[in-house]
Amino acid sequence: MSFDIPLMALSFPRLLEGLRMTLSLLAVSLVFGLLIALATSFARNTRWLSWPAEAYVYFFRGTPLLVQLFMIYFGLPQSEFIRTSPLWPLLREPFWCMCLALSLNNGAYVAEIIRGGLLGVGKGLKEACWALGLSRFHRLRFVTAPIVLRLCLPAYGNEIVSLLKSTALASTVTLLDVTGIARTIVAETFSPYEIFISAALIYLVLTFLVQTIVAHFEIRLNRHAQR
Amino acid sequence: MLEELWRWSGPFLQGSLVILLVFLVSLVLTVIWGLIGASAKLSNNRVARGAANAYTVIFRGTPEFLVLLLLYFGSAITLTALAKLLWPETRFVDLSPFWAGSIAISLIVGAAATETFRGAFLGVDQGQVEAGRALGLRRFQVFMLIRLPQMWRLALPSFGNHLNSLVKDTALISVIGLQEIMFTADMAASTNSMPFAMYFTVALIYLAFTTVVTAVIRRLERRANHFMLAAR
Repeated sequence: MSFDIPLMALSFPRLLEGLRMTLSLLAVSLVFGLLIALATSFARNTRWLSWPAEAYVYFFRGTPLLVQLFMIYFGLPQSEFIRTSPLWPLLREPFWCMCLALSLNNGAYVAEIIRGGLLGVGKGLKEACWALGLSRFHRLRFVTAPIVLRLCLPAYGNEIVSLLKSTALASTVTLLDVTGIARTIVAETFSPYEIFISAALIYLVLTFLVQTIVAHFEIRLNRHAQR
Repeated sequence: MLEELWRWSGPFLQGSLVILLVFLVSLVLTVIWGLIGASAKLSNNRVARGAANAYTVIFRGTPEFLVLLLLYFGSAITLTALAKLLWPETRFVDLSPFWAGSIAISLIVGAAATETFRGAFLGVDQGQVEAGRALGLRRFQVFMLIRLPQMWRLALPSFGNHLNSLVKDTALISVIGLQEIMFTADMAASTNSMPFAMYFTVALIYLAFTTVVTAVIRRLERRANHFMLAAR
């Protein structure tokens, strides 16, 4: 057994080709995940929509992403209704199935983070807004949202990292992301250490970048607390 | 559809037991990795601290799935090479999916547990440790009788979340061929062409599992904080 450094160097460019898929999945799911999370947070505070929202969060936080993905990718085409719906051209594609699974999963976790952030906004602030005569929109825009954003950012950063790691499951539905390409190369060369460690390095760098960017925003948002 | 579920209920039940077993094994391993990691991070030894830091950075920054693949396929190569050194006539040795999977997910969640335990150990008043030493307790006794009982109370809430991740990570092991409920659902779906119902069943089993884990942790938390209720 030996560690084949030239093979690592040789396969690195191929692994980097998968970066495009990994980053596309990450970007699309981040946007839709956040939208779903915001909609869920809104629904949780209404009278009739709160229980479906709770059920959604409970289900998607309590089950593995792989199961959710397989329900969408293998399960949805089972129904005639889905196959005749206008969304079928999208849901037929593994890429969009993966995005849907990731977004729904991420949305549930982020909704929970937002809930925590909303709980962190003091009641006194709400009363102060009343006393100042701010409208509901102004209260949200100038008081609640900035505080919630600041409270949620560290946890949201962790959620981005965990979404990034979740994209690795894409290869189970035939997509060629970094992990998918790594699996292909391992099947050709049977050198799991060299290839999977190279892939791991790519993910470590991405994680580091996400953490650095989030830390930068955290400092920016906490400017007021610094002297 | 219910008929089909009834037909596959045996394999689903068996698969659930496999998951339970993986969970229990990896739970023990997670606690071991977490305690070793936290002790190393808090030690005065620079090498131990460096190793523990590398462990948490690497295992928290790489996808669970990748770690699982690396461990499963990597262990086959390493074990085969080792076995060939000892018994030249061996052809192939590998770790079973059960053990490769349990070790992989415990290493990942263990990295998260390391951070939790580290924080919890720091939360135990240093004066308590000194008092124990002054009473003549040995280091090990201080650890078992003073530090551990006080830190687990602080660690429990986060540790509960780690346990839920552990439960959910068990689903990944089906990819390397462990015959658990995902595997059962794959088989069932390929014969009865009802993939949605089959995977939904898997989801419900996991949901039940995580619900029970959460409830148990909540009870333990209440128990751990029992003395505070009495003081009120």
